[in-house]
Amino acid sequence: MSLAAGPGRGHVTVGQLPDELNLVVEKHISYIQDLDTRRDELEYHLTEHLRTGGIYWGLTALHLLGRPDALPREGLIEYVLSCLHDNGGFGAAPGHDAHILYTGYSVQILTMIDGFDELEKKMPDCNGKIAAFVASLQQPDGRFAGDEWGETDTRFLFSAFYTLSLLGYMPHQHPNEPPIIDVSAATAHIKACRNFDGAFGVAPGAESHSGQVFTCCGALAIAGELDSYLGEVGKDRLGAWLSERQLPSGGLNGRPEKLVDVCYSWWVMSSLAMIGRLHWIDKAKLTAFILQSQDPEEGGIADRPGDMVDVFHTVFGIAGLSLIGYPGLVEVDPA
Amino acid sequence: MASHGIPRVSGGTPDKSEQAREKEQKQIEQYKALEKSVVERVRSKDYSNDTFQATSQLLTQNPEYYTIWNYRRLLLQDVFAKEQDRKEQPETKDIEAAEKEGLTPPQREISLLIKEDLQFLVPLLKQYPKCYWIWNHRSWLLGTATRLLPPRNSSELWQSELGLVSKMLSLDSRNFHGWGYRREVVAEIERLSASSMVEKEFGYTTKMIQTNLSNFSAWHYRSQLIPRLLSERQADSEARRAFSDAEFELITKALYTDPYDQSLWFYHGYLMSTLNPANAQAPPILDPCTNAERLHYLEQEIENVKDMLDGAEDCKYIYQSLLELSERYLEVEAGNKVVISQEMMAWLIELRKIDPLRVGRWRDLEVKLKF
Repeated sequence: MSLAAGPGRGHVTVGQLPDELNLVVEKHISYIQDLDTRRDELEYHLTEHLRTGGIYWGLTALHLLGRPDALPREGLIEYVLSCLHDNGGFGAAPGHDAHILYTGYSVQILTMIDGFDELEKKMPDCNGKIAAFVASLQQPDGRFAGDEWGETDTRFLFSAFYTLSLLGYMPHQHPNEPPIIDVSAATAHIKACRNFDGAFGVAPGAESHSGQVFTCCGALAIAGELDSYLGEVGKDRLGAWLSERQLPSGGLNGRPEKLVDVCYSWWVMSSLAMIGRLHWIDKAKLTAFILQSQDPEEGGIADRPGDMVDVFHTVFGIAGLSLIGYPGLVEVDPA
Repeated sequence: MASHGIPRVSGGTPDKSEQAREKEQKQIEQYKALEKSVVERVRSKDYSNDTFQATSQLLTQNPEYYTIWNYRRLLLQDVFAKEQDRKEQPETKDIEAAEKEGLTPPQREISLLIKEDLQFLVPLLKQYPKCYWIWNHRSWLLGTATRLLPPRNSSELWQSELGLVSKMLSLDSRNFHGWGYRREVVAEIERLSASSMVEKEFGYTTKMIQTNLSNFSAWHYRSQLIPRLLSERQADSEARRAFSDAEFELITKALYTDPYDQSLWFYHGYLMSTLNPANAQAPPILDPCTNAERLHYLEQEIENVKDMLDGAEDCKYIYQSLLELSERYLEVEAGNKVVISQEMMAWLIELRKIDPLRVGRWRDLEVKLKF
């Protein structure tokens, strides 16, 4: 069994939508359930390198929609374990190389479906091996590489932190043992990615970007340094930058003078939540924007109203709604 | 995330014709067969040119397939190692050709292969400018050139990267992969040549801003270059003051052109941050930066920005800027607090009216300012 992160069928046209929109919960559930039945589409095969990501996004969306069991657990476990490498890393699909992003998604999936016993059966001391794989990717300057080929990015650092944290291998979770990663070098790197506008870029010197604000704040939050590092002044500055991401359409963009996109509903909103400034944007308008980006007939959410839906925008739209407190959704932890 | 989830090939519309469906099935079969062949060849350590060509074919169809990029690097590493270990004597013409470029024959082979692969990436990069893996592979090729070739030769390759990245940024002037790669390329050229490019790069940001005022990526890069620029110019306090004035003039002109552009206000905010020692991410332009200087700029900018209201009374950024400037002014000099506070209250009321999206933020500001 596997599951596609493929495109939706989206044939919604803007202007045909009713003014009063509701989240089409059942349609989103069946949209996600049906993703794996689309092997007759070329796109299904061309997106195989995203498969584990797709499962994680789909499963998270289902959890938030209150239907955590909507995908068969056995199939999920079998699939995720089939992506495991001897070095403790996971690939995006069976046979694909191990990468920190897919290792992170796999650990998240196993956490959500409580699959660590099966993991242990497949590979004894697997948690330790996964943690060692993640730790091996840290560079002397504190950054994390995605894999042995050495590309670094704050996304990978955040991925390393949450993976180790879920596995219980962050140094603060084992105060009496030698740390397996250098947390202060990592957070020093994150701090070097901060800009004058209060937000964060992908590397020191890079322009601020909402996605990187999320990964950097998330990493600092896991390390327990977010509040002390930013302080009220820093939170005001970052909060101002984040709140300016909302445009008159209600949607959020990722950087100044860029287009709005549903996925920023999560990155901007969760960052605002982490710094206690969620009320700095208009939640009703954002809700309307996300709902307008749904495909009300086939399910799924797109980047913008009228576009083709996909599972990536579906989960970030739903997670954004959950943070806003949309009725009927399970509450989500911003970090 | 790797692909941002936006499908490049629009697949399943429900009302596909029988013919289209058949065609798609055929495409899937061909794609899966090609994938299978590449994977099997690499697993059986068939590091031949045929395998290499097959990865090219597969990556052209699907540049997001990161494992295949990894395979491609394995294949290249293998060829490079073989070239370096080559025992037999190369032909005279190869030796001569290599000597002409200041290389050994194996180095020349490696250099040709790297150049060829860089060429292979160009059309892919143009078609998929946001694909992390393509940028990443390029960066790996250049890094490998630095490791395996003499500095003069690898330097040439890095130099021509500057042309490529400028081309990419002219196609999409906000592509953050492009800007990040540009910083990487510049840093490496500077390292290899032991000379600074900061003046040239500063000039590049001016050019990009003139082409499109709204390009915050260029404004941001400019802000990053300024501290080094001034230090390399060995600018004294007078030169620094003149520089600061010129930047304020530049941004003020731009703001008059379009006060509704957020990018411009952020750069204005950056210039003001350089006067605020509490913002460690914006090192001072002025040296020394005294309170008298701060007040001078704050007064000047409050007047300038007030003037912008004329004809743009509905522009929220103006009120935001006035509030920030005044708040800062009161931090530095609490003298005429009453007058300033009254004005600030009026701006805040206006702001709440014209910027209802952020009404929660303005309410918090009101509490903070203790009106």
